[in-house]
Formats: sequence, C-alpha cells, structure tokens
Amino acid sequence: MFSFALKNILFYKGRSLTTFVLTFVSTLLFVVYVSMMDGSHKSMLQNAIKIYTGAIEIYHKDYRDIGGNEYLIQDTSAILKKISQIEGVEAYTSRYETFGLLSSKNNSAASMVAGIEPEKEKSLSSISEALTEGEFLTEKSGNCIYMGVELVKKLKVKLADEVAFIGAASDNSFAADIFRVCGIFKTGSFEFDLSTSFLSRDYFDTLMLSKNKASYITIKVDDLEHVEAVNEKIARVLDDNLESLTWKTLMKTMVEAMEVDSIFGYISLALFLVVIFFVIMIYGFINVSSRIKEFGVLRCVGISNSNIFSLLFYEIFILSTLAIAVAAPIGGYICYYYSINPIVIEGIAEMYKDYGIISDEIPFDFSVFTLAWNILLIYVLNFLSILYPYFYINSFRPIEASRHV
Amino acid sequence: MFRLMLKMAWKNSFARPARTVLLIIMIAVSMSMMLGIQGLYDGMALNIADKNKRSDSGDVSIFAQEYRINKDIKFRIKNALEIKKELQAMNGVKAVALRINADGLASTARKSSFAQIRGIDLAEEELFGKFSAFLKEGEIRLDKKSAIIGIELAKTLKVGIGSKVIFSTQDTRGEINSVALKISAVIQTTNIILDSSTVFVDLKKLRTFLGLKKEEATQISVMCEDQAVIEDLKIKYQALDVKSFFELQPMMQMMEEMMLIFNSITFFIVMSVVFVGIFGVMYVSVLDRIREFGIMLGIGMQYRYIRMQIFLEAIFIGAIGYIGGALIGLFLLMYLREYGLDFSSFADALEMWGYEAVIYGTIKVSYFTTTFLAIISASVLSVLIPLRKIKKLNPIEVIKADK
Repeated sequence: MFSFALKNILFYKGRSLTTFVLTFVSTLLFVVYVSMMDGSHKSMLQNAIKIYTGAIEIYHKDYRDIGGNEYLIQDTSAILKKISQIEGVEAYTSRYETFGLLSSKNNSAASMVAGIEPEKEKSLSSISEALTEGEFLTEKSGNCIYMGVELVKKLKVKLADEVAFIGAASDNSFAADIFRVCGIFKTGSFEFDLSTSFLSRDYFDTLMLSKNKASYITIKVDDLEHVEAVNEKIARVLDDNLESLTWKTLMKTMVEAMEVDSIFGYISLALFLVVIFFVIMIYGFINVSSRIKEFGVLRCVGISNSNIFSLLFYEIFILSTLAIAVAAPIGGYICYYYSINPIVIEGIAEMYKDYGIISDEIPFDFSVFTLAWNILLIYVLNFLSILYPYFYINSFRPIEASRHV
Repeated sequence: MFRLMLKMAWKNSFARPARTVLLIIMIAVSMSMMLGIQGLYDGMALNIADKNKRSDSGDVSIFAQEYRINKDIKFRIKNALEIKKELQAMNGVKAVALRINADGLASTARKSSFAQIRGIDLAEEELFGKFSAFLKEGEIRLDKKSAIIGIELAKTLKVGIGSKVIFSTQDTRGEINSVALKISAVIQTTNIILDSSTVFVDLKKLRTFLGLKKEEATQISVMCEDQAVIEDLKIKYQALDVKSFFELQPMMQMMEEMMLIFNSITFFIVMSVVFVGIFGVMYVSVLDRIREFGIMLGIGMQYRYIRMQIFLEAIFIGAIGYIGGALIGLFLLMYLREYGLDFSSFADALEMWGYEAVIYGTIKVSYFTTTFLAIISASVLSVLIPLRKIKKLNPIEVIKADK
C-alpha cells in the first residue's frame, strides 16, 4: 500500500503539490506564530521577575490580603537561617517596605520606600544594575536614598539633594526623616521607576523600628524550572503563620493576562488552520472522487476497506511528512534565530509603558517540545482531512464503484 | 440566451453536489470565523477607545502648558470657567467637563498606594460621558466626604463600599494636606490610569482642599459633534496645550492601526486559501466536462457563452458560500455584540490591562461588503485558468477523445 500511495502521489501532481504547499505554509505559520507569542510572554514575565519580584517570596499569612504592621514577619534571622540550608536556594534576603510621602523643596510624591540589604540585593534583583547616576547603596550608606528616575523627575531633585520622608513606622508611630539622593535607577518599568525608592536596611530599620522584621523574604532559586520543588521544601520548614509563594502566584494576574493573550492568539491561528484543513480536505476529496472507479476495482479484486484507508493514510502521511520535513527546520531556525536575536520595534516600550512593557525587543521562544506539539497538531489535522473522502468512497458498493463514470 | 446560461450554470454547479457543498461549507465557515474575529478585535479596540474618551480625554482636552509634563497643579488653567463658557457656546461642541487632578498618597489603616485625586462635577460628567455607566459597585454620589474609586486601586488598597481612605497631597501653597474620604462607589472605566490610581471627589470640595480659585482647573475636556472643532480649538487657544484624543493616547491609535493591519493580513491570507479551494474545485469541474464543452463548441456555441456559464457557476458557488457565511457570521457577531465573550475567570488579568471581563464585539457593514467583493473576486479569478484551457480546445479532438 505504501508504494501504491507513493505512485499515486507522483501521478496526481496537482493535488500533491497543493497539499504539500498548504501543509508547509500552515506548519511554518503555526510554529513561528506560537514561538513569537510564547517568547514575548516569557520575556515579559522574566523581565518582571528580574526587576524586583523573587522566584519565591515568604509572607506572613494575611499580609498580602489584609496588610498592616501586625502581619510583618518577626524574627527574620531565624527564618533566613532555615532557608540557607535548603538545597536549590541560590540567594535570599529580607525586605521591609512601606509607603510614605517624599517631599523636595517644592514638590511631593507618594512612594514605596523599601529597606534592602544592598549586597544581597545585587544577586537577587536587577535594581543595582539599573543604576544610571550616582551610586548604588551599601550597608553603610546611611540616609542615602536610591530613587527611580521618574520619581526623581517628579520631585525635581538631583544627586545630593535632600528629600523629606513622612510615613508610619512598624509600630504604627509617626516616622519622619531627611534622606539624601545618592543614586538614580531606571528599570524601564514606568510604574516602578515612578513609585519606588530604596534605603539600606541598616539605616532604615532604625528609623522604622523594623530590626529583625520584614515585609517579606525574597528568594532566588538555582533553576527556575524547579521552583515548585524548592517551594515545597521551604514550606515544610516554615511556621504555620507564614506562607511561601512562587512567582506564578505572586504574578498571577500577569500569568493570567498572558493566558488570555494566548487564547486570542490561538483563536486567530484556528481560523487559518480551519481554512487550510478544508482546502486540503477538498483536494483530497476531489482526488478520491476522480478515483472511485479505481477504488471499486481494487475492492472487487479483494482489497479490504482497511487497506483503502491505509492507502489514503499513507498518501497524506507521505505528503505531510515531506512538507513538515521542509517547514519544521526552517520554522525551527527562525524561532531559534529570533530567540537569540530578538526583533526590535523602536518605541514599543514607551508606547505600552502603562501595560508594563519594558523592552522594545520581541524575542521568540525556541522549545523542542512546542515545536513537537505544533507538528503533531498539523499531522492530526491532515489525517482528519482524509476521513470524509474515505467515508465517501465507502458509501459506494464495490461493483457500483467499479462502474462509476 | 442569458437565462439559458443561468439555468445551465445553476444545474452544473450542483452536478457534483458533495464537492460543491464541501466548497460552500469551506467558504461559509472561514468567512464566518473571520467576521467573528474581526468583530471581536475591533469591538475590543473600539470599546476601550470609547470608554477612554468618555471617562477622560473626550475628543480633545485642554491643559495649561507644561502641566502634562510636570503633573503639577502649579500649571493650571487660570480662566477655566470662562473657557468652558466659550466652548459651550461653540458650534460642534457637544459637552464640556472641567477637572482638577492632583497626585498624592492614598492610605487605609493597613495599605497605602500612590494615587491621583480627581475633582469632577457628577452632573457634568454624566452629560459628558455617561459616568454612571462605569459603576461596578455601590452608588454614584459625591456628597459630604464621599469618593468614588477606580477598581484596580480598590483592589490594591483592599477597600470596598463604606471603607475609609485618607488622601494626602501637596496643595497650592506647598503644604502637605490630608483629607478623609468614604468610598461610595467602585468604577471601571477601562482607562488604566483612572482604574489603577484614581480617587474621584467633588470638584468644588477638591478646589477648596487644594486652595484653588473657583475659576481654575487643570483639565478641560471637550466632546465634539464635529471633529473640525479640534483644529479650531488649537488655533483659538494657542497659549494652552490643546491635544486631541489620539495625541493624548497614541497607544489607542497604534492599537487601531495594528488591528487594521492584523485584520487585513488575516483577510488576505484567508481569502488566498479560499481562492485555492475554489480554484481546485472549478478546475476539476471544468476538466470533468471538457468533452461536454467540446461538443458545445462543435455544434456552434460561441466561446463567450461557455465563458459566461463558467463564470456564473463560480459566482453561484461563491455567492451561496457568502450568504451562508454572512448569515452565520452575522449571528455570531450579534451574539458577541449582545452577550460578548465571557472571560470572568481571567477578570483580574483583563482589568489590569484595562479590559472588561466580558469582551463585546462590534458589527460593521464594511465586513460584509469587503468580504462579498473578495469572495466574488476569488470565485471569478479562480476560473481564469480553466477558461484558458477551454479556449485552446480543439472541439473535434475532444469529441473524439475517450473519457
């Protein structure tokens, strides 16, 4: 049946060529489109994690839902000690965050002010790399404040200027101080750069009475793929009043937003695939309907229905395989190339800054697994396209078919 | 003769019913899917643009020079009331809204977030953009200490109806002032900035709180009946910063352009594949009947009648497919316009990006006219090659040939 199918493919060149071209186009389109979609989603999430959010964060239960100083983590050092012994944890640090008003001579702005451990922070987030002016914090930076570039613009301050801070300390008492601008950063995330500033914990803890307390503990893992396993280990050593959450939970809204975007992407793709499926089926059907007599004769000489099915199956299998064999390496190469050299659309980050887009780059995702399931789906669609032609042939009795004109 | 050709074309279209029906189904399914996708995507973009206009910028907004760069109440329009009256008297102006905006810190007993306070006149906003339509929860009122809050900011601060919020900001004298507010309503405008960071209060109260005079405002938004008004305003108020909706929201323009490009590419690809489908069927259909055409030519029928018959066949199939697709597509679009696509399980994600949990579609006559033209063109073009084959026929040879 296989060689019979091969002969048929060569004989019915028009149909073979059309099926080949359509399968090639759909495979290429599918592989490249999914790669671009997945790549841009992954990039957005990775950028968000890289800036400030940790792979895993530990909170006092209810801190995220209710908030307030009574839900701060107490005895942070004991927890950090436990975490340090867990395999898979690469780095960790505690942060103390509060909201307050920062004022320059003429302007005021609300800001999230975070007390951080500067040295540890270097290996956990990209805020130190985001430095544009001045210097990043050290443990002994004192009242130095490291501010986002948009916040600096809003307050109309420059390096070495003083800003007044008013907020509430960890015991709910009034806290106020004068900070000196020592560094300015730009992460590219407009909202983050507009609303965030940092101080060294050594100094900030004294002001906020937050020694050995933390809003949360942030953790970097050796391998992001194993984040769930590490998280389980961490959860086991924590007290009942604490919770350990991975980035998937911390950035649930963003993950969901990507899912919705993917749904729309697949809806659009479905349109192309359905139309192509129909055309392949129509060409298959035309081919089969012009060979009814041939199939009738074959069945009269004892070829079974399953053999007829095998014949059609081999035909579509050979054509699909040939088309995929050409399309997959080309598509794979495009995905691989653009995963390393992302497409750059100048100005896209500025345009979509409110949506959290921080880069003009649109990287593709190169994944063998994705490539495999994309190819598999094209195979399935092509196989489905022979069902109606097969049932159509079977609707004729062998004698009737052999006399068909 | 034409009636005869019409009759023959109709009968021949269904000479192989399975093949023709399959082709009609392909046209109908692909067309209806394409219409649904176009309507849904356009609906998303239009919905966001419409709500952004109604809730914020209108067709055009006027600011004091430098306000948009510095976002500081120092840069306010000193004679806003007078300008408002002038605008209301202008032809082509539908509605005008005065607003005062100030950035600051919104806090509850447990949570804080940087935010924007916006003073509005509810009656004016209702006229301007049907403000009450944005209500998600509570009651739209701004009496005493009442405030209305954007849905995302409410989530950040974990507040609901009746919750207290303290808003602190710098007044015109440079002093830090705070005001206690009680949330009366939560709204969703799909404008990211309003939803994620804005607390709405009464315009007069905010004016007093910030120390502004009664004729002052930071923003004057105008809804126009005639878009030519925008250019008139730019000329008339050259000392101020007059910006159209798309100048204020370049992202919206980009979004609309991207939708247009995306829809055009989709349309082109789908129609190309549809063309391949029709071509295949018509080509085989002509080849199947090559002897028949040879006889027709042999008994003296002119080629142009055969050509007309084949064109009519292709148009019949295309038109039936189109009617089927248009009906299914119309039904789909009506459903999407009425009930939308419910993404409630992703509500948080969509709201974060300024979309509503239910995404509604839109219907444009152009969807049907352009698709009609494209399908009929694809049908007509698809028979050109088969027709060339017939034109080159030698009737005697074809009649002699064994089927």
